[in-house]
Amino acid sequence: MKLLTHNMLSSHVRGVRQGFPLGLKATEVKVNTVDFNQEFVARMIPKLEWTALVEAADNLGHLSDLPRELVADYESNEDFLRKVHHVLLEVEVIEGTLKCPESGREFPITKGIPNMLLNEDES
Amino acid sequence: MELQLEPNTAAPTACCHLALTDRTARFFCTAGRGMERFVVREVKEKLEAEQVECFLGKVFFTAEPVVRKLKKIKSGERLFLLLKKEPPLTLSINRGKGFNEINKFIIGEPHCWLAALSLWQNLQLTAKHETENQSASKVPKRKSDTDHEPNVLKMFKEEHSLATENVCKQLQIYPNKSSHHNPTGENKLSVTVPVQSSEENLAPCNGHQDFGFRVSCRCSGAVAKRYASEELGRLIGIALIKKFGWKTELRAPDLEIFVHLNDDQSVVGFSLLRVPLANRVYIRNSGLRSTVAWAMASLAEISVGAHVVDPMCGFGTILLEAAKEWPKAYYFGVDINESPLRAAYDNVRTAGLEDHIGLLHASAKNLPLLSESVDIIISDMPFGKKFISIKDDFPGILLEMERILRFGGILVLLLSQELYKQAGLHVSGIHRNGKPPIAAGGETSGAEMMNNANSEARHGNSSKIIPGSQSRPLRCLLPVESHSVSLGVTDAFILKCKKIATPPVQ
Repeated sequence: MKLLTHNMLSSHVRGVRQGFPLGLKATEVKVNTVDFNQEFVARMIPKLEWTALVEAADNLGHLSDLPRELVADYESNEDFLRKVHHVLLEVEVIEGTLKCPESGREFPITKGIPNMLLNEDES
Repeated sequence: MELQLEPNTAAPTACCHLALTDRTARFFCTAGRGMERFVVREVKEKLEAEQVECFLGKVFFTAEPVVRKLKKIKSGERLFLLLKKEPPLTLSINRGKGFNEINKFIIGEPHCWLAALSLWQNLQLTAKHETENQSASKVPKRKSDTDHEPNVLKMFKEEHSLATENVCKQLQIYPNKSSHHNPTGENKLSVTVPVQSSEENLAPCNGHQDFGFRVSCRCSGAVAKRYASEELGRLIGIALIKKFGWKTELRAPDLEIFVHLNDDQSVVGFSLLRVPLANRVYIRNSGLRSTVAWAMASLAEISVGAHVVDPMCGFGTILLEAAKEWPKAYYFGVDINESPLRAAYDNVRTAGLEDHIGLLHASAKNLPLLSESVDIIISDMPFGKKFISIKDDFPGILLEMERILRFGGILVLLLSQELYKQAGLHVSGIHRNGKPPIAAGGETSGAEMMNNANSEARHGNSSKIIPGSQSRPLRCLLPVESHSVSLGVTDAFILKCKKIATPPVQ
């Protein structure tokens, strides 16, 4: 699971109002090399929950000097965009858990795929 | 592309449909039912094709003869170099005579065949050259190709009789046995080849032929009533052997000669690729037909940086097709079952698309995604006997899709007729009488559907509330267009909707 995916995930356990962001713990992380595409990353940024991304990256020990606040005029800031690219797409959680911030329900990440399936009584 | 023809050979353009100029040739692409319009759009956009003609199951076009480019067609099935396209044949009642007429039409003027063969061989060499030097320069070196080009005008007669005998054995043809199509047995079929005129000046063979051919004949309509396709195919094959001395190779032919005779037209073509266009080297496990998956993605308006979700991704065919063509977007595949997800994972790795596609194990009825977070949803709604339960879940699934889609976002679904009706009812509340929104002929334009919506709205018919949804009906999904496509045994509909901020006023 990439941090880009994590940034969109929320927990829908019954009764939960704020299932975002999910707490991230990893027991196995892989860092891949992914071709950098400046336009793609720049277009992605406005769609991100920035604080959630920084937090998740920090949890994994891959903050990579990402600033806590989104910088202004990032579109042309290649250096910054490369960092975002690394955190979003190159860091991959292979094994770990995602935790609902409200209900505490944990979702396993196995072989890179998060399992967000709920039991019948949870949904 | 230059044709290396003998100086005394007549110009090919005069006699056949190759329509060759220095830079273009005439092709056709076969397509599944309902897929023709996607092929038309694709050849125009990707190949800058001209003189594009669309018929049921086939699209004819003129384009630059570069295999690398032609291979980019994703919505078609197979690709052919066009030799002839004529109006349907009117044949004599006498079977023997009728066959001779077919034969005369097919063989026609031999130099058309030789010109076509020359171009075909040239394209084969270029294609081979391209695959061998994939990492090398993108522009194929034409010059070296033409150096290798066998001179097709120099390879006749020597093996002529041997080849005929050989194919007769292979095909198990027993000349002059009456066909089962002709119970009276009075008109016996025999192969008569037009007598070779001396002015055609076909030199005796002194090079060697490096290809094997097979004739694939398909007849329908009037012709099919009197001749079986296999029978015609065999006889055309023999005529070609007699005329040109070519060798047959039935199992793995280099050259497949496609003959299609129906009530619309009579078509002869050379297959350009051994593997159909629809086969994808990058897909290991395929669920949905790749051409249909591509067509769905092509409707989704995938822009740079888009978030694309398939909430019931199965093996991930749609995502793979989309990510190959539009790589600058991020794709999520969701499935409720683990085994297809693992296959999808496998597929994504094999295709080298792990940078672009993420996978999630979750239910489409309860997607763990934030509301209004997704730009595009594309999905093949599982239907058929295997997935009967989807019917009850369908409204809930649509509601989830509507929830996660941002305003202005696009939804493209593949639906069975039944689900399509259901969707028509629920998506906008415009088809309350349960009548399928599609006319028997095929498609309804988006405008028409919207008009329906508006007129219904004016008449005070409100959208139906979806059972089980307490919140609100699906009023934000506006149908934009729909296409009827064939999935082989079954038919299906591709439905495209847009999520709008303001539902039609009641």
